[in-house]
Amino acid sequence: MEGAVMRSPLPAAWARFASGALLLAALLAPAAVRAQEPVARPASAFSANVAVDWFQLSLLLAQQTPGFSPPVTARALGYLGLTLYESVVPGMPAHQSLAGQLNELSSLPWAQPDEVLHWPTVANAALATMNRMMFPTASAENKGRIDLLERSLPLKYTQDFDPATVTPDIGNRSESFGKLMAMAVMTWARTDGGHEGWGPLRRSQATFVPPSGPGLWSPTPPGFAPPLLPYWGANRPMALKRVADCPAPSPPPYSEEPGSPFFKEAQEVWRIANAATQEQRQFALYWADDPGKTPTPAGHWAYIAGDVLKARKATLADAAEAYARLNIAMSDAFVAGWATKYQVHLIRPVTYVQLVIDSNWVPQLMHTPPFPEYPSGHSVQSAAAAGVLGALFGADTAFTDNTHNDRGWGPRTFRSFKAAADEAAVSRLYAGIHFRSGVEGGKVQGACVAQKVMALKTRR
Amino acid sequence: MGVLRRWPGALALAMTAFAGAAAAAEPLPPVPRFVEETDTAGLQSRFEGQDEYMVGGGVATVDCDGDGLPEVYVTAGVNKAKLYRNKSSRGGPIRLAEERSGLELTNALGAYPIDIDADGQADMVVLRVGEVEVFRGLGGCRFERANARWKLNSGNAWHTAFSATWERDQAWPTLAFGTYVDRARPEFPWGSCTPGSLWRPDPAGGGFAAALPLVPGHCALSMLFSDWNRSGDAALRVSNDREYYKGGQEQLWKLAPGQAPVLYTAEQGWKPLQVWGMGIASHDLDGDGLPEVFLTSMSDNKLQRLEAGAATPSYVDMAFKRGVTAHRPYVGGDIHPSTAWHAQFADVNHDGLADLFIVKGNVGNMPDFATLDPNNLLLQLADGRFVEVGQQAGMASFRRGRGGMLADLNGDGLLDMVVVNRWDKAQLWRNVGAGTAEKPAPMGHWLQLRLRQTGGNRDAIGAWVEVDLGARVVRQELTIGGGHASGHLGWMHFGLGDATRVKLRVQWPHGDWSDWRSVAADAFYGVDRELGIVEWKAP
Repeated sequence: MEGAVMRSPLPAAWARFASGALLLAALLAPAAVRAQEPVARPASAFSANVAVDWFQLSLLLAQQTPGFSPPVTARALGYLGLTLYESVVPGMPAHQSLAGQLNELSSLPWAQPDEVLHWPTVANAALATMNRMMFPTASAENKGRIDLLERSLPLKYTQDFDPATVTPDIGNRSESFGKLMAMAVMTWARTDGGHEGWGPLRRSQATFVPPSGPGLWSPTPPGFAPPLLPYWGANRPMALKRVADCPAPSPPPYSEEPGSPFFKEAQEVWRIANAATQEQRQFALYWADDPGKTPTPAGHWAYIAGDVLKARKATLADAAEAYARLNIAMSDAFVAGWATKYQVHLIRPVTYVQLVIDSNWVPQLMHTPPFPEYPSGHSVQSAAAAGVLGALFGADTAFTDNTHNDRGWGPRTFRSFKAAADEAAVSRLYAGIHFRSGVEGGKVQGACVAQKVMALKTRR
Repeated sequence: MGVLRRWPGALALAMTAFAGAAAAAEPLPPVPRFVEETDTAGLQSRFEGQDEYMVGGGVATVDCDGDGLPEVYVTAGVNKAKLYRNKSSRGGPIRLAEERSGLELTNALGAYPIDIDADGQADMVVLRVGEVEVFRGLGGCRFERANARWKLNSGNAWHTAFSATWERDQAWPTLAFGTYVDRARPEFPWGSCTPGSLWRPDPAGGGFAAALPLVPGHCALSMLFSDWNRSGDAALRVSNDREYYKGGQEQLWKLAPGQAPVLYTAEQGWKPLQVWGMGIASHDLDGDGLPEVFLTSMSDNKLQRLEAGAATPSYVDMAFKRGVTAHRPYVGGDIHPSTAWHAQFADVNHDGLADLFIVKGNVGNMPDFATLDPNNLLLQLADGRFVEVGQQAGMASFRRGRGGMLADLNGDGLLDMVVVNRWDKAQLWRNVGAGTAEKPAPMGHWLQLRLRQTGGNRDAIGAWVEVDLGARVVRQELTIGGGHASGHLGWMHFGLGDATRVKLRVQWPHGDWSDWRSVAADAFYGVDRELGIVEWKAP
C-alpha cells in the first residue's frame, strides 16, 4: 500500500526545511521575499484550540440539522477528522498521510515544500470548507455560524494567529491549501455510498424490503417507523478493508421457548427495564444521545475528546491525529455495526416481549430506535471510541465528561474511557431497547474497529 | 302504520334506505339489535401501520378448544396479532381473554383457519407483509409454526389474499395466495402487481410441492375457491384492485386435477370486469343452486349472477336491482363515495333469508371518499331485494373498517359481529336479537352444523348443505377464503324463519348427496359423512 501513495519528496525536504532550509531559501529568493517570509513553525507549535472549536461547532450543526442521525453524523465527523489531519500533516514532520491506507484513497494534495504555511489557518480554512460541504442543509443561522467562526478564530486565538507570522501571502496560501484539502477529501467522500445520507433515499438504491420470518425485526412501537438507513452497512468503510474484518459474534439462536437463552435475554431486558434503579435510568438517559436533541453518540465522544485535548493543553498536531483516528473509528463502527444489523436483522426486545412475555410492555424510558437490534450501535461505536482514546491517551486515563452539562446531567468523571464505553453500552439494556448479547457483541465489534484504526500508520 | 308501530325505526329506515319507496312496499324484516361489547368483552386490538398496512386487517374465528364457542384471532398490522379465548357464557355477554397461543405475530394482515393436515385440530394461515406463516394446531388453542414442516415458503411479498380447496382425491388441500404490489417499488406502485401462487399437495405427502405461479397477478385482495357451476370441482375467483394493475381485471382460474391453473377467457364467456376489488362474498341468493357473488369495491360494489346458468362463466351485475350497491354512506351526512372491504352473506335475523354484512372504511385519508363511512347491514326482503338497517341495528360504526366476521360467539344461535379497523380499535357487537343487552330475545329459528368426514379434508370444505324450510330450500357452500382477509372455520349457520323442524342434506365434497334427514331447530348438530347427524351438546 505504501507504494501506491503518490508522494512528493517532501519528507526529506521537511527535515531539512525545519533545521536550516530557511537560510538556503533566503539565499536563493528575491530580496523582498527574504525580508518578509517568517520562520515556518510545525503544527505542534500551535494549540488545539482551532480544531476543538471547529468540532464543537460541527456537533452543534449535527444536532440542529435535520437528517443527521447517528450514522450520518459519525460519517460527517469522520471526514472532518480526516480533513483536519490531512490539512496539517505536512506540518507534522514525524507524521505521514493516511492516503494509501484508507479504502480507495490513493493520494491527497501535499503542501509545496518551498512554501511556508500557517497551520492554524490551514486547519481553519479546511474545517470551514468541510463543514459547509458536510452540512449543506444547515439552517441559515448555522451557516452564518460557520462563517463567523472562520472569521473570528484568528481574532480569538492571537497566540496561534500572530499577525507577524501570518503574512498575507502565507495566509492566502494556507487558506488555499486548507480549502484544497477539504475539496479533495470531499471528492473521495462522495463515492462512499453515504453521501447526502441526511436526505431521502438515493436514486441509485433500491427500496429496502425487510426480510420476514420468526425472530426477524419488524417496525417497533409507537411510531412503527421504517428501517433507518438500511444500506448504510454497504457504505465503503474508511479504515476497515471490509466490514467483515470486524464481525460481531452471533447472538443466541432465536427461540420463543421459555428457558431458552434467547428467552432469558428478553426476560432480562424486561425485568431490568421494569425495575431499573435510579442510577440505571440516569445511565440510560445520559448515553441515549438522541439525534435532534444532542450531537448523537459519536458527537458525545468527539466532545469528550475535545475536553481531553483542552485539559492536556494539546497541540494542533495532537488534535489532528486524535480527531482523525477517533472519528474514522466511529464512522467505521457505524458502517460495520449497520452491516451486521441488517444481516442479522434481529427482532427488538419490545417486539419479542410483546409477542412472548407481556403483551402490553413498552420500554418506559425511551422509544426503541427504528432499526434491527443486533448489535447495539451505541456499544459498537462507544467501544471503538474508547479503544482509540485509550490507545492515544492511556487506557487508565481518568477524564471529565462535560457533554451534557447544559442539560443538567454533568459534569461526570470516569476512571477510564473503557469504563465510560461500558456504561454507554449497558445503558441500552437498562433502557429496554437491547439484549445483553447485543451489548456484548457490539463491544467486541467496536474493539476490533478500534484496533484496525489504531493500526493505521501515522508516524513515519 | 302497523309496520311502523311494530318497528319504531322503520320510518327513518324507509327514508334513508336506498330506493326507499320500493323497499317500503315489501314488508320490512325484523331488525336484529347489535350491542357493542368491545370493551366489556376485553377485546383490545388496534390495526396499525402505514403504507403496506393500508389493506388487510382480518379476523379469524375458530373453536380451538372444543367448547363449541369460536375463539377470535385478530390481526393488528405492525401491532401484535392476538388470539382471544372465548370465555363467554352461553346466551350471555361476550367475554374474551387474550391467551398466548403461538399465533402471536407482527405484520399480520389477515388470517384463515383451516385443518391442513387433517388431524382434527384447526391450523391457521396468516397473511402478512412478508412471508405467509402457517401454524399447526396442537389442540387446546396452542399452535406451532409449520412452514418448514409443510414445505411452504411463500417468499417475502405482500400477501393479501387466501383461499383453499381440496382437489379431487387429495388428502391435503390446495392453497392459493394472492399478493399485492411489488414491495420494492413503493414510490411508483402502479403497474407493479406481483403474481399469486398455488400450492398443491406434495405427492410424497406431508406438505406441499413447489408453488405454481398465478400469472398474471393483478393485485388480489380476495380469493375464493367456489364451485361456481356445480361441476364438483372448485374454481378460484380472484378479486383484484384496479388501483394498481395495468390491464388487469377480475379473474376466475380453472383448476383441472394435475394441470396448471388456467384463466377462463372471454371466448369461454368470462366478461372482463375492472373494480377496486377488495372482498368476495358468495351465496345462492336466488335458489337456483348456483352461487351469486358479491364483490366489494370503492363505491362500485357488484352482485353477480350467472346470466346463462352453469354453462359459461358469464356474469351480469344485479347490485342495483337487488339494492346492494351500498355505494354511499346511508347515515352520518358524508356524501362521498364509500369504500367497502369485507363482505359476508349470513342470516342475522333468522328469517331464512341471507343478509349482507359489509365492512367499510376510508383507505386512509382519501379526500374524495367518505371519511364517515358506516358499515352496512343489508337485510334481504322476501322479494330478493335488500334494505339497509345498519343504523337501526346499532352497528353503523364510522371507524376505518377493514376485515370482519359474523359468528355466533356466545352460542345463542344469533350471529355476533367482529370488525377490524385501521388506525383504530377492533370492535365487537353481540347480537341480542329482538331483545336488549339485559334481556336478549330470539328472532326466529336457527340451526348450526359442523360437518365431519374422515381422511383428508376433515371439515368437508367444498360441501354443499341444503336445508328445506318447507316453503323453500336454502343452501350454503362450505368454503375457506373470501371476505377481506378474514376467515371462519366451524359452525355453519342457518336461519330457519318460523320452521321448528327442517330437513337437511349434504352434498359431500366430490361426492353425492346424502339422504334428507329431519332435525329440530335451534340446536347444534354434528354431521358426519358416515355416522350421520348427531346433536351436539356443549361440554
